[in-house]
Amino acid sequence: MTAIETAAVPVRRLEWQLAEVREIVVETSRVKSIMLHVTSWQGHRPGQHLDIRLTAENGYQAQRSYSIASPPEEELLTLTVEQIANGEVSPYLVGDLRAGDQFELRGPVGGYFVWTAAMGGPLYLIAGGSGIVPLMAMLRHRERRNSRAPALLLYSSRSLEDVIYREELDAMTRRDPDLRVVNTLTRNQPDGWRGPRRRIDKALLGEKCFPPEQKPKIFVCGSTPLVEDVSRFLVELGHDPFTIKTERFGPSGV
Amino acid sequence: MQEAPITRGFRSRRQEQTSKNRVPPGQYVTTDFPILSAGPTPQIKVENWNLAFQLDGSLLGKWSWVEFEALPQTTIKKDIHCVTKWSKLDTSWQGVTFDDLMKAVGLAKPPQAYIMAHCDGGYTTNVPVADLVGGQGMIATGYDGLPILPAHGGPARLLVPHLYFWKSAKWVRRLRFMEKDERGFWESLGYYNYGDPWKEQRYDGD
Amino acid sequence: MTENVSDLVLDGNAAAGLLQEIFIADITTAQIQCEACGSTGGVGSLRLYAAPMGAVLRCNYCDGILMRAVHTPHGRWLEMRGARYLRY
Repeated sequence: MTAIETAAVPVRRLEWQLAEVREIVVETSRVKSIMLHVTSWQGHRPGQHLDIRLTAENGYQAQRSYSIASPPEEELLTLTVEQIANGEVSPYLVGDLRAGDQFELRGPVGGYFVWTAAMGGPLYLIAGGSGIVPLMAMLRHRERRNSRAPALLLYSSRSLEDVIYREELDAMTRRDPDLRVVNTLTRNQPDGWRGPRRRIDKALLGEKCFPPEQKPKIFVCGSTPLVEDVSRFLVELGHDPFTIKTERFGPSGV
Repeated sequence: MQEAPITRGFRSRRQEQTSKNRVPPGQYVTTDFPILSAGPTPQIKVENWNLAFQLDGSLLGKWSWVEFEALPQTTIKKDIHCVTKWSKLDTSWQGVTFDDLMKAVGLAKPPQAYIMAHCDGGYTTNVPVADLVGGQGMIATGYDGLPILPAHGGPARLLVPHLYFWKSAKWVRRLRFMEKDERGFWESLGYYNYGDPWKEQRYDGD
Repeated sequence: MTENVSDLVLDGNAAAGLLQEIFIADITTAQIQCEACGSTGGVGSLRLYAAPMGAVLRCNYCDGILMRAVHTPHGRWLEMRGARYLRY
């Protein structure tokens, strides 16, 4: 098979590299962010992910993919991991991993689900649960670039306590009038909650989103049912399917 | 292969092989029942289900669900081994053995040496008839006393537990005799043609 | 529990690492046309099945197989009979 190179993206062989944990931050009761130092990291684009590989003493290996939560402007790579009950890798990453530990990773991977400030807006982001992670990389990058592209995040979570990056998103919207965040809480809502209280449906999408004429760049990330429903609703609302990029995550349907 | 660095404190959830006699090389015992499919789970109504037994383009036999359930049923308890390295011990299956299917169509001896299993969704796998007879293979409709769930291959799957579990084709609908061996879905894409877990025949070239 | 359920329906983005090993290029942004139904979409948006054994990428409209890929210790396999073209 001959090697095929794309003009736009410089590509090299993917190789496993060693990453060192520098810091671990608690995001919610089940979610932590892991900041990593990778010596020869060549950079990435917001939305890309990487593969990690863990090796037990008996040689057993497990491999998983995680979206990169940090923007390329950050020196340390951040992964945000949700602990899945009965999972094999996430309980280790969220429960046992500590600063100084090392594991292998490979990437960045994936050019399909990518947004950079150069692509412009409006930017319409729709997330369910831990699907927020690659979208957060996009929003962090947008802020670092002082992008004026109007952006809207529609984010579905089970409860307020489960909203990942909640304080940071609040602070971002306070600093930036061109960014709007709408949280919908599907299971529990605090007293006085005035936001939506249901799964993302066509009505919610239609009410909140940029009109199709503005040709927003749309990114949807979450469980497969959420991603497929939202994509279908967006097309029914008149958006061109080619403007809708999707990424289906394994765990966490909200 | 280069040694990968050990990740401090990481341990497999799966148990170490407890008894070396029961677990083939490279396998780990699991108490879960992982699901792996090459396509979406077909939603098959038993009223519409039938199983065909074919030889050279002619039908040896065809059973509706009711007819199939009326064939002699056998229960077996076997260990199963997936090429992705999990093994599940003492799994109980109910169904119709390949021997009983042959009897039902009046065949004392297999007319050809190989079988291709064809399934809803397009999956295929090839098995030598020698590995299906003598109670080694069955069309299973029950797991642990209950109907096999769609995600696990229900209403009926091929079961050949002494080979890697990709050969136990889910949603089987047709068994076709073949004069010459032909490679099925995974066998034609880098996986070992036979698949003996005890010889670790995972990939072509192993 | 979902980490043990290999039947997770993911998409071509999750296969990007495996595909990049084969193509030496990121093809998740490529457009691919289904041979069976003629519909076109990004490789990254296709439904991915069978992930631990390999990658089986299926058409979002007709479920036809567009691409199959396996990484074995003896080499990498790719089959694309179900695709009319790949464009990037």
